[in-house]
Amino acid sequence: MKNADPVSRTLRKEATRKLLVETALDQYTLKGITATPTADIARAAGVAHGTVFLHFSTQEALVAAVIEDFGARVTLRLHELVAQQATLRDVLTAHVRCLEEFEGFYTRLVVEGRLLPTSTRTTLLGIQTAISFHLAQAADREAQEGRIAPCPSHLLFNTWLGLVHYYLTNGDLFAPDGSVLHKYGPELVDHLLGLLAPKKE
Amino acid sequence: MKTCIACGMPMRETADFALGDPAKDYCVHCARPDGTMQSYEEKLTSMSAFIVRNQGLDQGVARTAACRMLAALPAWKDQPGAPL
Repeated sequence: MKNADPVSRTLRKEATRKLLVETALDQYTLKGITATPTADIARAAGVAHGTVFLHFSTQEALVAAVIEDFGARVTLRLHELVAQQATLRDVLTAHVRCLEEFEGFYTRLVVEGRLLPTSTRTTLLGIQTAISFHLAQAADREAQEGRIAPCPSHLLFNTWLGLVHYYLTNGDLFAPDGSVLHKYGPELVDHLLGLLAPKKE
Repeated sequence: MKTCIACGMPMRETADFALGDPAKDYCVHCARPDGTMQSYEEKLTSMSAFIVRNQGLDQGVARTAACRMLAALPAWKDQPGAPL
């Protein structure tokens, strides 16, 4: 392979990097982000341990790459799921559906967030910024139309996120055998909308 | 699908693009009324305010977070002063 042309060498290098990022994401989901050694990732990916460090100078760089890739995928998926002029129910349902698709790793991020490098928290904030954008747009529209009671955007967002994150971080208590968002998502959406129902005179 | 070089928002519909022009690389939220792209300082200020308003973060924390988010985007990668 010494004579492989630069293009195929670059492609191979990119493919190995992608494999490492995807394998790391699976391993972090399974064992935790801070608790997974790079040796486990290399073994699961079927590469030599040293290969990890050819692509990522440190373990922290690998974690940052995984989280950055994850953040981009979640944000893109969220935008795909939320249609223009979506109702508040549509946005909340899309958020639940999106998080359900990425539930394992997202839960790890929420649980371990404060133990991880700043770049990790920035990625998590980036995901929250994307959902808060859609949520605020829909809520403002519905409050103006009198369909929900007015509520400060940050309190609406944090009430919703507090609810979702509580169920996620305690998933072992609420849904030990499966997805907590699949089981409780619709109920959480109904509950938040109930809280926001316009007050009767 | 294109994503805005200045804020990272995926641009799906024509209305998502600055001036409704799909040839633009930045979104409607990153454009000034005349269609030109906002400066780094304008974007940083508006994104910080957005985070405070919609997520309730402390103002200083929101500005630092916005700074870090912008630093990862193509339009601001070489911006002096952006944190690593």
